[in-house]
Amino acid sequence: MQHLAARLRLRSVIRIAIPLVILVALGGCLMPPTPETTQGKDIFGLYTVVFIMGAIVFFAVEAAIVWAVIRYRRRDDRLPDQLHGNTFIEILWTAIPTVIVLVLFAISLTTLNQIDAKSTPAVTIEVDAFQWQWSFHYLDGDSNPSNDYIVTGTDAAPPVMGLPTGEPVKLILKSEDVIHSFFVPHFLIKRDVIPFPPGEQPNTLEFTIVNAGTYAGQCAEFCGTGHSRMLFSIQAMAPAAYQTWLASAKAGMTPAPSATPAPNETVVDLTAHNIAFDKSTLEVPAGQPFVIHFVNNDTIQHEVAIYDSSGKAVFTGRTITEGTVDYQVPALPAGTYRFQCDIHPQVMFGTLTAK
Amino acid sequence: MATTTLTPQVGSYRRSWILEWLTTVDHKKIGIMYIVNSFLFFFLAGILALAVRSELAVPGLQFLDDATYNQAFTMHGTIMIFLFVVPVLAGFANYIVPLQIGAPDMAFPRINALSFWLLPLGGGLILSGYLFGGAAAEGWTGYTPLSSAYSPGPGTDLWLIGLLLVGTASILGSINFIATIFKMRAPGMTFFRMPIFVWTVLVTATLILLATPVLAAGLIALFIDRNYGGSFFEPATGGNPILWQHIFWFFGHPEVYIVILPAMGVVSEVLPTFSRKPLFGYRAFVFATIAIGLLSFSVWAHHMFTTGVVFLPFFSFMTALIAVPTGVKMFNWIATMYRGSISFTTAMLFAVGFLAMFLIGGISGVMMAEAPVDFHLQDTYFAVAHLHYVFFGGAVMGVFAATYYWFPKMFGRRLNEKLGKVHFWLMLIGFNVTFFPMHILGIQGMPRRIADYSPTAGWTVWNFISTIGAFTIAISILPFLLNVVATFINGERVGDDPWEGNTLEWATSSPPPPYNFDRLPPVRSERPVFDLRHRHDRERLLGEAAMAAVEEHS
Repeated sequence: MQHLAARLRLRSVIRIAIPLVILVALGGCLMPPTPETTQGKDIFGLYTVVFIMGAIVFFAVEAAIVWAVIRYRRRDDRLPDQLHGNTFIEILWTAIPTVIVLVLFAISLTTLNQIDAKSTPAVTIEVDAFQWQWSFHYLDGDSNPSNDYIVTGTDAAPPVMGLPTGEPVKLILKSEDVIHSFFVPHFLIKRDVIPFPPGEQPNTLEFTIVNAGTYAGQCAEFCGTGHSRMLFSIQAMAPAAYQTWLASAKAGMTPAPSATPAPNETVVDLTAHNIAFDKSTLEVPAGQPFVIHFVNNDTIQHEVAIYDSSGKAVFTGRTITEGTVDYQVPALPAGTYRFQCDIHPQVMFGTLTAK
Repeated sequence: MATTTLTPQVGSYRRSWILEWLTTVDHKKIGIMYIVNSFLFFFLAGILALAVRSELAVPGLQFLDDATYNQAFTMHGTIMIFLFVVPVLAGFANYIVPLQIGAPDMAFPRINALSFWLLPLGGGLILSGYLFGGAAAEGWTGYTPLSSAYSPGPGTDLWLIGLLLVGTASILGSINFIATIFKMRAPGMTFFRMPIFVWTVLVTATLILLATPVLAAGLIALFIDRNYGGSFFEPATGGNPILWQHIFWFFGHPEVYIVILPAMGVVSEVLPTFSRKPLFGYRAFVFATIAIGLLSFSVWAHHMFTTGVVFLPFFSFMTALIAVPTGVKMFNWIATMYRGSISFTTAMLFAVGFLAMFLIGGISGVMMAEAPVDFHLQDTYFAVAHLHYVFFGGAVMGVFAATYYWFPKMFGRRLNEKLGKVHFWLMLIGFNVTFFPMHILGIQGMPRRIADYSPTAGWTVWNFISTIGAFTIAISILPFLLNVVATFINGERVGDDPWEGNTLEWATSSPPPPYNFDRLPPVRSERPVFDLRHRHDRERLLGEAAMAAVEEHS
């Protein structure tokens, strides 16, 4: 008998516990990603309040529906009381949602003012969205773009935006073609990148990152065939590390190389000038990583990408404007490859042989 | 004195039934054609949805390329909204409204036929883009400048012209409904004795009349931009792409209520009938419907919170405010069932399904009405989940409730209840398995309208579940189709008033004669047929009361 009682108790515990666990898990799935900016934390707080209120309304009303449906199912042919209404209760249930809406509005307005608060930005970046990638232009305030760090993404290598933690960042969002949207889920915010007519100010987005880390982002406004490939990421680091990162990025070096370069690496030189490469053939050893020392003498963007015979990209370099970069190319199997500038593939190309 | 008998001459001259249907101006036949046409478009757009869901089941592009994918979701959205949910409910309104107000037909029968025939024409044009190098692929919202300078093909032009025709059909239909409801009500049917479904159709028609011309203007402006060097939306030449969003959503948000109000009307007919009680708070319900209609014109920019160019507090507040009249309706519906005597017919199940699912769409709507929350959720799968809980969990549940409820009126036969229940439960489960995970995906940050996503994004599991749900919905359609076919072959004949309805359509034969009514019962309340059915009860009650009074005095 004791066994049976224990089993019954266990069963009822399970009966309550399992749905509870499922509910909590589902509720957890319905919470946004960990917020990583001060503004994101404000939004997360507001979301939590709104979500809890929504959950209460959900359970209360669904319970009322289910209860009414089960309790008042038809049992006999008697006609129920023909109840037409009740003024008091109708006024009451007009007033309750009104109060909820007013309270939510007050809280959300407070949050809106918090996240819209402006401060002097430590870093200002012009974000250029285009079909279908991003270009980040670090503005240094000297109104000379030639010494600025600009990074433009490709499908194979989405751009990385290095940013300091703890300092206000301002993005100026510009588009030359269609509407895009700058969205970082971990910041809980997006803002549309709109091609405004001349004379109108572009949208801006300001935030302060709290924690170091890498946060994925992508375009959130449908912008055409390449929409799903408009990815980018944000690499947040301590201010000192950020300064080092920016200096090395400006110098055209691959940011923060994790491995030391092999001592006797092959280095091949390639120069772009007047929208042409200086060489039409390159030769590298097969099965060994090598470096392309790429010099761009033009004031427009170039890069180097390598394709195998089937047309698949095996390497895509970072785009640079008037500068130098050392591309670390992974080992290639023996064979003939095409190299080209993805921005000017018709005029800037050549053959790369690995043997 | 010689008596002349007038026999109705309808049907006295013969023509083939095809010609009869093609040239009919009878609101009942036109209503049925609306419904059949809409369901055909529903199945087509459903197949497109399956294509979209199949592509998203796992990362990578397996079935479609980017361009085909974009066309698929654009056509899915456009057809579902403009050629299914709006016209199917217009079809039920066409059939039911004249019957419910005791009228012989719509006010303008020929315009009625015209507004129907514009639909397959418009829909055909929209789809014909597939024959000319690809259908429109800018989403059903067609945002500029993507839909102007950056989409050169003829697909977008065909989309514009097709939508213009469909919009014209809506406008003509709305004028017809307003004239019919104002001028053709039976004697005794005052405004506050009209069935709630008629009220919702009246408010809907007013919304169409005020909102759709704005869309039409926008479509024409965009057509000029695309083909005649116009510059309404073209930033390079001084136009503003945001203007399109204002125009589109000034139409587009009332459009949501154009879809949901008649479905609410259906639910407000079905719940009282199967609870055997009057609708709780009839007047409050009417005022709530009007309030929703008015508010719907002050909330359009909540679709534009992330554009950075709209005044957030106003639109945020007005949007959340719509929750108040909507909440009133929800409570009235539940109070209608309270202390009722509820029978679970398939129509009732779909009506209760509407309550349970629309509630979720309403709550997620209030969440997104708070601008900062919307900064995160806008244009993610959360919005997709929200709009499907409103359009599918709301409107489509209402459409099926209407189908099961009024089928016996239209054809004199009742749809099979067992198959109906299989249909309901499969669809309810499939619906939630498809769309609930989309909330989670959106909160995690998955943008809408992407053809592909990274396997490392962590979205694979929920997408896969969602795709399983989509196929469950598709399977749930099979018992429905089987049911319709089987009922036509061998369905149960159930007489004129199988459900013990309350409103005038149940006072005539099933199907009704071409002129609708041989005689009309007196209209003394919003439930004339209920009064007729229970007139003896009342006499008995009055008699008993009188006897009691007499006994007291004696």
